[in-house]
Amino acid sequence: MNVETKLGLDVFKIDKDAHIIIDQEICRSCEDKFCLYVCPGKLYSVNRETEEMEVECSGCLECGTCRIACIHGALDWNYARGGFGIQYRFG
Amino acid sequence: MTEADEEKVEVVVVGAGLAGLSAAYVLAQAGVDTVVVERGDYPGAKNVTGGRIYMHPLRHYLPDLWDDAPLERHVTRETITMMAEGASTAITLDNDKFREEPYHSYTILRSNFDRWFGDKVAEAGGFVLPKYRADDVLVEDGRVVGIVMGEEDEIRADVVVAADGVLSLIAEKAGLRQAQQPKHFAVSAKEVIELPAKSIEERFNLGPGEGAAQLYFGTLTKGMLGGGFIYTNQDSISLGLVVGIESLMEREPKIEVHEILEDFKARPEIRNLVADGEIVEYSAHAIPEGGINAMPKLYSDGIVVIGEAAGLGLNMLITVRGMEFAVASGVMAAEAILKAREKGDYSADSLAHYEELLKDSFALQDLETFRHVLGFMENPRLFNFYPQAVCDIFTELMWIDEKPKPKISTTVIREGVGKFLNWSTIKDGLGMLRI
Amino acid sequence: MDVIVCMKQIPDLQQIRIKDREPILDNVPLVWGDLDKNAIEEASKIKEAVEDVKVTVVALGSDKIEQGILEPLAMGADEAVLLTDPAFAGSDSMGTAKVLAKAIEKTGSYDLVILGEGSTDNYSGVVASALAELLNLPMISYVRELEVQDGKVKAVRNMEESFEVMEADLPALVTVAQEINEPRLPKFMAIRKAGAKPRHEWGPDDLGLAADEVGQNALSVETLSNLAPEQDRKNIILKGNLAEQIDALVDALTKEGVLGR
Repeated sequence: MNVETKLGLDVFKIDKDAHIIIDQEICRSCEDKFCLYVCPGKLYSVNRETEEMEVECSGCLECGTCRIACIHGALDWNYARGGFGIQYRFG
Repeated sequence: MTEADEEKVEVVVVGAGLAGLSAAYVLAQAGVDTVVVERGDYPGAKNVTGGRIYMHPLRHYLPDLWDDAPLERHVTRETITMMAEGASTAITLDNDKFREEPYHSYTILRSNFDRWFGDKVAEAGGFVLPKYRADDVLVEDGRVVGIVMGEEDEIRADVVVAADGVLSLIAEKAGLRQAQQPKHFAVSAKEVIELPAKSIEERFNLGPGEGAAQLYFGTLTKGMLGGGFIYTNQDSISLGLVVGIESLMEREPKIEVHEILEDFKARPEIRNLVADGEIVEYSAHAIPEGGINAMPKLYSDGIVVIGEAAGLGLNMLITVRGMEFAVASGVMAAEAILKAREKGDYSADSLAHYEELLKDSFALQDLETFRHVLGFMENPRLFNFYPQAVCDIFTELMWIDEKPKPKISTTVIREGVGKFLNWSTIKDGLGMLRI
Repeated sequence: MDVIVCMKQIPDLQQIRIKDREPILDNVPLVWGDLDKNAIEEASKIKEAVEDVKVTVVALGSDKIEQGILEPLAMGADEAVLLTDPAFAGSDSMGTAKVLAKAIEKTGSYDLVILGEGSTDNYSGVVASALAELLNLPMISYVRELEVQDGKVKAVRNMEESFEVMEADLPALVTVAQEINEPRLPKFMAIRKAGAKPRHEWGPDDLGLAADEVGQNALSVETLSNLAPEQDRKNIILKGNLAEQIDALVDALTKEGVLGR
């Protein structure tokens, strides 16, 4: 089962605003791009057209791994707003 | 009550996890006006564990609370499996002690459990406020006097208890901790796989209500620090893995967390255990593994930091612990707050009592005792060479073909000396003495 | 002026899992219907705009309502009536309307009754009409703008392609649509103080209803089943190179009748 399908099993309350803001300036010069593979939800990707780093916040498990791994400080990272984001039924 | 009192509470706890709820429970029981702010829809909505909670520390710190707790299965069988390429060797501990009440440990699913605990706090007189996110600390004259929520709301309090989990943005905002270093954290991904209780009991050879805890290490993490786990719940299996974030960042070629989990699951040893099960949830969590070397400052004027927010988690190689640290630190923080309340003094000096209590308890002492474990585990040989060597020797002993077999002692000595007697392994052996 | 808002606690629909086509409701958290929140928000706005308004929430739910009721009280309601007696559980729309009517009458005075245009769980949209009939009130439905003035209520209705403006003398009943407002997020102190506001728990006896007149004992409509649509995988694996696979896919979809119509 791929990771998108797995995330589809979880309950997400989706907010209109993203809770992770990416500083494209930093990402452009970043050669590591650790976010692309440390995220357990595989939510980071580089947009092929704009070449910008993108994150799909609506599937975020709020583990914070990207925040820890982005040693270049490109992420303005917050948890989802109260009453939004992942709501675990099992945990 | 004066007007000013009406506009504040005595204690605001940020985060309804085990640490925050434990602190709130003790405070509420003592009649302290306590509010727990939780960003999830309910306590537990954001909380994840691998799967097992050790009960003896919990019973010590909060006696009589746990009788009707929604726990899963009491663990009666412990298995550690060393995984090599295409082979694995397992050691299983079955001990009648695990079948004696009160039980030693239980498998656990946090969503249910923390909701129950939240209800207990409310019954004790605490106020649990779900769906609200604490965004910052409120600081006046250099001391913390409450929290900020959103753009317009705040809660003023004598003390803020930062129990907001592994990243603790609250402790960070209060200046008690620095940016996290990847080497001090691991990432865990987990699936909850539904299976009928009967199938679980048959596959894991368990009696009704009995549970299995299985840890796996070796090639499954592809040379990286970490391991896999399986815990049997009542009607489901928690299956997942943990990988050091730094080793994940440094590994070449790159690999995704999710791929490692899928490869682990595809192993025949695992595949059959979860066959025909239905995945019902996928979760992830960062785990503090820095131990005592990575702890933040635990208190300041008007604030204390507890649980994972305080870096309280311990990887002891063969056991992974966190939840009992959460409960213990919550209770000790509450005790320190009660003492500060008697004096009417919530300054750093007064709240320092919390750290004293921690130092006298298993929490900081175990972290001290096991402070070298992380360094020891950074050794890749632990995850590829040794599991492979053990499996090779076993295979050599077990394999029967048409050729004459050497004596057992010959095989053990030849394979053992050949594999285990060299400078690297001697160094590793000496390193082991430090843990 | 007395404004009554009717609200109902429902399972958080997003949290419900389906197993063997049946919804699993164990442990699913209870929330207020989305439109119920629009209803209480509108009442709170009237209270802010018009002098001397008292807002009473009449709430249906389980015994777990204690925490939940703080939300409408913090949003602006002055008082709450809790209809949490297990005897009310499993009511159909008519049964619900009957219980609400009795409770509203028992509050003593009602000038304006506000409900959401439907409940988020089964959306029958019948309760409000039945309630208006039982209370003998004029009713305006699907309201997207509301104004109370000089003993009248003026409402803009949400039609598909037009807006209809209507007026009725108070007392009246209105149902509100989601566009009418953005429900406020109450502040912590408001929630905390809401705990001190008066709450009444009324059972069938308090409302003068006998046990066989309420809940599952008084169904006029019976729910025979509530099943998720059947989903079946055909497990067709397409083989060959990409072009062959695409051809096979088109063939398969055409055979299913989803293509080529």
